[in-house]
Amino acid sequence: MATKYETVIGLEVHIELATESKIFCSCSAKFGGEQNDHVCPACCGMPGMLPVVNKHVVDLGMTAGMMLNCDINRVTTFDKKSYYYPDLPGSYQTTQWFSPVAVNGTVRINTSKGEKDIRIKQIHMEEDAGKLVHDDWTNTTFVDFNRTSVPLIEIVSQPDLSSAEEVVAYLERLRSLLRFAKVSECRMEQGSMRCDVNLSVRPEGSNVLGVRTEMKNMNSISAIERAIEYETARHIDAIENGTEELVQETRRWDDIKGKSFAMRNKETAGDYRYFPDPNVMPVCIDDEWFDGIKASLPEFPEVKKDKYITELGLGEYDADLLTESRALCDVFEEAYAECGMAKEAANWIISNCMKVLNRKQLTADMLDINGKALGQLIKLVADGKVGNANARKILDEMFENDIEPEKYAEENGFIVSNDTSKIQDVINAVVAADQKSVADFKSGKEKALMALFGKCMKELKGNCDPQILREMLLKTIQ
Amino acid sequence: MDREILRRLEKLNQLQLTEQEKEAFLAFYAKQENEMDVLNSINTDETERMVHVMPILTVVREDKVIKKYSREDLQKGAPETTEGYWQVPRLVE
Ligand SMILES: [Zn+2]
Repeated sequence: MATKYETVIGLEVHIELATESKIFCSCSAKFGGEQNDHVCPACCGMPGMLPVVNKHVVDLGMTAGMMLNCDINRVTTFDKKSYYYPDLPGSYQTTQWFSPVAVNGTVRINTSKGEKDIRIKQIHMEEDAGKLVHDDWTNTTFVDFNRTSVPLIEIVSQPDLSSAEEVVAYLERLRSLLRFAKVSECRMEQGSMRCDVNLSVRPEGSNVLGVRTEMKNMNSISAIERAIEYETARHIDAIENGTEELVQETRRWDDIKGKSFAMRNKETAGDYRYFPDPNVMPVCIDDEWFDGIKASLPEFPEVKKDKYITELGLGEYDADLLTESRALCDVFEEAYAECGMAKEAANWIISNCMKVLNRKQLTADMLDINGKALGQLIKLVADGKVGNANARKILDEMFENDIEPEKYAEENGFIVSNDTSKIQDVINAVVAADQKSVADFKSGKEKALMALFGKCMKELKGNCDPQILREMLLKTIQ
Repeated sequence: MDREILRRLEKLNQLQLTEQEKEAFLAFYAKQENEMDVLNSINTDETERMVHVMPILTVVREDKVIKKYSREDLQKGAPETTEGYWQVPRLVE
């Protein structure tokens, strides 16, 4: 009988933190900019410069730790990881090795096989490396330090994952929790979430680990799936058929070729000679700081979803859509607090706001309107003070400026008029000008009424209760 | 410290030492090693890890962007630059 194998996978996930400035200096951490524009003597490695820790990096490191059920190290320290490569100008990376910010966590995942807890070994804070462009023409390397010292956390799992499906579930769960807590946007395609896969294969039931390889350079979740499937097959093939000797090494995934390749320089890989960085003093997290972060944690998405359904009466579909993004939840909750109409608030966000976002090619996470103002707008519509078409115009304006909907409606003539004599004047004029539609209606063509109604509404600039207009129009032509 | 370890360190640090420099390093480290032996002989089982030689904690700064330096100033001392990039010997095989 053929041997069955199981795959043992541990992940190292790098996440770029959502800060304004770098981890050890005040340069901008924003993506883009001209080469070497976000640079200072500290992050380009000039001698004598000292690092100063960005508080918000520690805030976010702690937040990530708490979201993943970790213990927080109240005294956390930075260490030097030596490696000589021009993408880090000091020939070392400042990271955490001996006392990382968070340890011993768990992340619960859901797959076709049910629930499973993946243990987190540690989360450490560190600096990113710069960008190198190799130039064939001059056989030199161009160095851009804009990304150097941009803050990252690395989340290291225990080898508890056993399939591509579990890895995908784990990454999606990490992304959801960290986006919710505003730790990072976690965009794999933009490199703000990167993942290295440690993988080995052993006969099922064995408790001896096989030879482990580390794979790098996967730029999407589907690439990770492909890489895991390829690497698992390669390991099994090597074990069963002796096609090659498995060695512990780092491999680069090539998604176009669909293969992994050994990276060279095996002799120097992994020998990092960590030692405490004497330039950064220990960071002490006192009770006030710790409690402040703890109090700022958001509810987990599934807790919110449950609340939206049971307490606010939303349908499962709407609750699912809203809780996909913290931004949607925030606007929804503010709007609901203002107008007290949960279903209407959900509808406005899911249909109208999403339409505007799509038109602007923005994602749900980028919804940045005043939720309270949205609540006021919903009330104006519910009270019959503003018509639907005009309300959507007001919403458009809310994406551009922080307006007060009622004031804006008044200033732009969007308030529904209940001045019946004015409505009657408009109806009389429209009817007089379109006797054909009146005749059509009288001969049984229902559509003709809609034509007249539309003309009146247009003439009134939408500022009329449709029910009143309809009744008055019918009375006039019958 | 022997020649093999020195060779490895040379490689890790992308250095090329002359025979004279190698002799000097070996002699230097031979002296340090004796001192290391003394340190290693001390029983530290009950001793808490020292985090830093100075008994002080770090000060943190607020997350605010300050731009004080121009690229031109920073690259004044660079041996070679191209279009705002530092230019260095190619390291990748
Ligand atoms: Zn800087």
